[in-house]
Amino acid sequence: MVQHLTRKLLSGMALPGIALAAMLGTVAVPVQANAATLHMAWSQDATGLDPHKQTAFSSLRLLELIYEPLVRVDASLQIVPAIATSWQFSQDGKELTFKLDPKAKYHNGAAVTSADVKASFERIPDEKTGAAARANFLSIASIDTPDPVTVVFHLSQPDVPILTAMSDVNAAIVPAGEITAGSVGTKAIGSGPFKLDKWDPNAREVLSANKDWAGGATGVDGIEISVLPDETAILAAMRTKQIEFALLNDPLVATLVPQEASLQLNRVPVLAYHVLQLNPSRKPMTELKVRQAISCAIDRQEVLDTASLGEGKVTGPLTIPSLATDPSQLFCYKRDVEKAKQLMSEAGYADGFSATVIGATGEPPTAAAEAQVIQSQLAEIGVKLDIKMMELNVYVDAWLKGDFDMAIALNGGRADPYTMYNRYWTKAGNLQKVANYIDDTLDSQMQQGRTETDPAKRKAIFAEFEKHLAEVSPWIWLYTSYSYTAQQKNIAGFVPTPTGTLFSLSKVTIQQ
Amino acid sequence: MTYLLRRLAVFPLVLIGVSIVVFVAIRMVPGDAITAMLGTEAGLLTPAQREALSVYFGIDQPWFVQYGRWLAGLLHGNLGISSTYGKPVLEIILERFPLTLELALLSMLIALVVGVPAGVFAATHNEKFSGLGVRVAAMIGQSTPNFVLALLIIYTLSAGFGVLPAMGEFSPLWQDPLRNLGQLILPAITLGFAFAASVTRISRSAMLDVLSDDYVRTARSKGVSARGVIWRHALPNALIPVVTLSGIEFGYLLGGAVIVEQIYALPGLGRLVLDAILQRDYALVQGAVLFIAFNFMIVNLLVDLAYVALDPRIRLGEQ
Amino acid sequence: MRMLRAIFAHPSGRIGGFIVGLYLLLAVLGLLGLTPHNPLMQYRVDRLHAPDGTYWMGTDLFGRDVASRLMMGIGQSFTVAFFSVAFAALAGTVLGLAAAWFGRRWDGIVMRVMDVLLAFPAILLALLIVAVAGPGTWTSIVAIAIVYTPIFTRVVRGPALSLKAREFVDAARTFGSSSSYILTRHLLLNLVAPLTVQITLALAWALLTEAGLSFLGLGTQPPAASLGLMLSDSRNLMETAPWLMIFPGLAIMISILGFNLLGDALRDIFDPRMRRAIA
Repeated sequence: MVQHLTRKLLSGMALPGIALAAMLGTVAVPVQANAATLHMAWSQDATGLDPHKQTAFSSLRLLELIYEPLVRVDASLQIVPAIATSWQFSQDGKELTFKLDPKAKYHNGAAVTSADVKASFERIPDEKTGAAARANFLSIASIDTPDPVTVVFHLSQPDVPILTAMSDVNAAIVPAGEITAGSVGTKAIGSGPFKLDKWDPNAREVLSANKDWAGGATGVDGIEISVLPDETAILAAMRTKQIEFALLNDPLVATLVPQEASLQLNRVPVLAYHVLQLNPSRKPMTELKVRQAISCAIDRQEVLDTASLGEGKVTGPLTIPSLATDPSQLFCYKRDVEKAKQLMSEAGYADGFSATVIGATGEPPTAAAEAQVIQSQLAEIGVKLDIKMMELNVYVDAWLKGDFDMAIALNGGRADPYTMYNRYWTKAGNLQKVANYIDDTLDSQMQQGRTETDPAKRKAIFAEFEKHLAEVSPWIWLYTSYSYTAQQKNIAGFVPTPTGTLFSLSKVTIQQ
Repeated sequence: MTYLLRRLAVFPLVLIGVSIVVFVAIRMVPGDAITAMLGTEAGLLTPAQREALSVYFGIDQPWFVQYGRWLAGLLHGNLGISSTYGKPVLEIILERFPLTLELALLSMLIALVVGVPAGVFAATHNEKFSGLGVRVAAMIGQSTPNFVLALLIIYTLSAGFGVLPAMGEFSPLWQDPLRNLGQLILPAITLGFAFAASVTRISRSAMLDVLSDDYVRTARSKGVSARGVIWRHALPNALIPVVTLSGIEFGYLLGGAVIVEQIYALPGLGRLVLDAILQRDYALVQGAVLFIAFNFMIVNLLVDLAYVALDPRIRLGEQ
Repeated sequence: MRMLRAIFAHPSGRIGGFIVGLYLLLAVLGLLGLTPHNPLMQYRVDRLHAPDGTYWMGTDLFGRDVASRLMMGIGQSFTVAFFSVAFAALAGTVLGLAAAWFGRRWDGIVMRVMDVLLAFPAILLALLIVAVAGPGTWTSIVAIAIVYTPIFTRVVRGPALSLKAREFVDAARTFGSSSSYILTRHLLLNLVAPLTVQITLALAWALLTEAGLSFLGLGTQPPAASLGLMLSDSRNLMETAPWLMIFPGLAIMISILGFNLLGDALRDIFDPRMRRAIA
């Protein structure tokens, strides 16, 4: 038997060689792009389909193609129509009225009605739903639906930022029937430009055009999204034209795209910010002067240049272009080691101190590099940093408990500063336990900003807020980076926006 | 027969051990399905919201209650429902398994086809330069981390030759054999590289052992040609350790190849478990690890049986 | 001393011994900080500098000297590899001997526990251990040690069982030697060969496992360097700065080559049949 096996083994040896050559031959054939299907790739997949529950970047990007909110923000962060064609605040700012688009239809053909809007906005604040965006809609006192295309929100207090919050896919309108049936997260019935035909988590999504979409015809018949966990592999797949459009996170990979003649890199500054969060409830970060010394000792430009290859812009707390202050006006945005040392000795820490900084592995991809540059910069004023990189969920767990001395983070931005920061820098903020710093000035500035309807006055309020925040330095804001998409040059019509949305894929076409 | 039964009787014991270890370990890791879904936004949840989500994910009970429930389900052939896929765990695993099995088989094929002749060559050219060359090549093969090899292959092919296997959608063997093999051949080479190197090394040393045995010398002195001695007499006996090694290695490969699957974007078992761990999909982690452990034990049993079949000197049941 | 001479008499032992010796020297220098540059110093004007007279192996993303970091990395990787294999070998030997010597019940318990560990996919087992305990040098060591303990247990148990059955142990027993004496003297002597070979092979695996853990971000913590971490950090810079991958890659390969050659030589030296074949 043994000998038989051996002979078989040996006689089989010539064959695989030929087979191997044949197979590699098939490898050489690039997959022909179906003219009307966009082949897309990203490295991290969506985590779920319920638009009210998802907060992960990829989930939002996917769901924005499937669901629609009442309004959207465009590339310049202005509010534009979506399901609602028009909207109006009452004089006292406590009543917000929307007119819905009568053409708006769900993927199953049913019309989007005011009843769906009411049901959706009752579902989000319901604690049983577990919607993370709930906090943004607590000022809704009641909702009236005088007719199928009119919705009136009655607010308990003037709330200007609520309109921006409503532009998020976390405030998407879902069919009232699906809510009652409890099937929102499973069936993915929305009114957006694409419908989800197939989802194989961590592997791929297949989307097809929604022919009834109120926004008009889409440029492609469908989108196939593949999850390629390694971004180097995404770039390789783009080189061989298998992938036409991709989302990239790592600047080290993104910066290689322009070197390819057939590829184009789209980059747009985003609202999210890289930050070194200090924990002001822990010694010695309890001391204002210590925090300020850290701020003065860090060369933000150098962190950006090293960790992100200079791909980004140094920023203060406000990342919204129309509101942001020139960072050079902010406290210690020019590195000043002498001043830092002096502040340290005034605080009684002339000899420095030791602390641990936590970061999440690969989230963002630059985290470990940022930590190492900061570590070496802070060493110059005697602060000895210990770096602890953790798996994302372990990090999140520690972060939520406020269990860290310092943390490297990439925190999400919003189109409105109140929505963006009320969680951290108000007395009632849900994430006060993470921020661990609040003073009366910050709290009152936030409250003023929330109710002020005059844009110029609002801008002034937030400018003061930003200046104050940079000065008390609970966190060290570092820089904003770019959101990257890479595409074949024959893809036309994609408009990158600071929110990172891929909504304009609805108008993208493939040129022959 | 009794030996086989005794071996099989141990299976449930080991599986229960594995399930308890994985059950406790995965729950000791900080973070849960809620933080996996929401990230830092989970901090915006009120206690009531958190409670509602815990019930939704089935993690509101103490761990032993959860374990009891899970074990009860297991006895009914139910491995639970995955929180990320919203499907029965067993269904997901069985969807992923054919790829892993095929990849493991292909890698083993490559390893044996390359490794055994190379090993024989190295053994018969033991004191020569060419033999040393094969050995050094094998050692380099064994010492290259597979992620380095995978990245080099992808980079060379895509940047140098403009070709790459179809990434993204994976075609099962029965749907599109050609495309399927195209997708799996590079990962199989990546995995088979180190595997072939081990096979080369072990078959060389086994061959050397056998060649020095008395009966081979006898055969030789009786005038059997050198080639005849090697292929007919020595190799069959030298195959025993090769079978053992290949079997064990194959058993490992059936557990999925996390890093290679990650780079080549293959939906195999390794990535399934890794993603399930990262997303704290407890039911899926438990089910998949149990499935992998079970396969591993089966393969080990088969290796032992093959061992016995190949070497009549070993008697079943003897310890 | 006799051992060393035997190794140097063997052709692959000579090369293997030389390589391992060289690495040990580099590791010690790296651990003591006797490197061309400070491996942690960031020369930021010289970021991603190609190899030249000042930076023999170039600099990394931070402008740190790759050659110096390589020495530091060898120190770190060898520390992890040596300690983890030492623990695994020790635990495996004790457990394997216990299983073989005390027989039946002990054997059953020990081997079932080893089966549980063995049935776990290795990298996932290491991953779970690191995730529970938090990353760090010692966690990596313990994780890798646990993963490899069952292999050593098996390696020891087999020969121990057959030796136990052989007459000379019986003979020693009838002559009244205490059982612990029999254990240490006869069994251990006969286990040296398989153990030594297994240890050199396991050192190579341990280096690779550490590299795998680092690839998943769970190994050595920055700014320290290990060969695996340097290699996995280099992957997205492979095209921009190939030297970041080449040198640590070569370093891993050559070190494993060294261990393997040494292992081969040791096996030849210990294996009486081989000795006869050579003679």
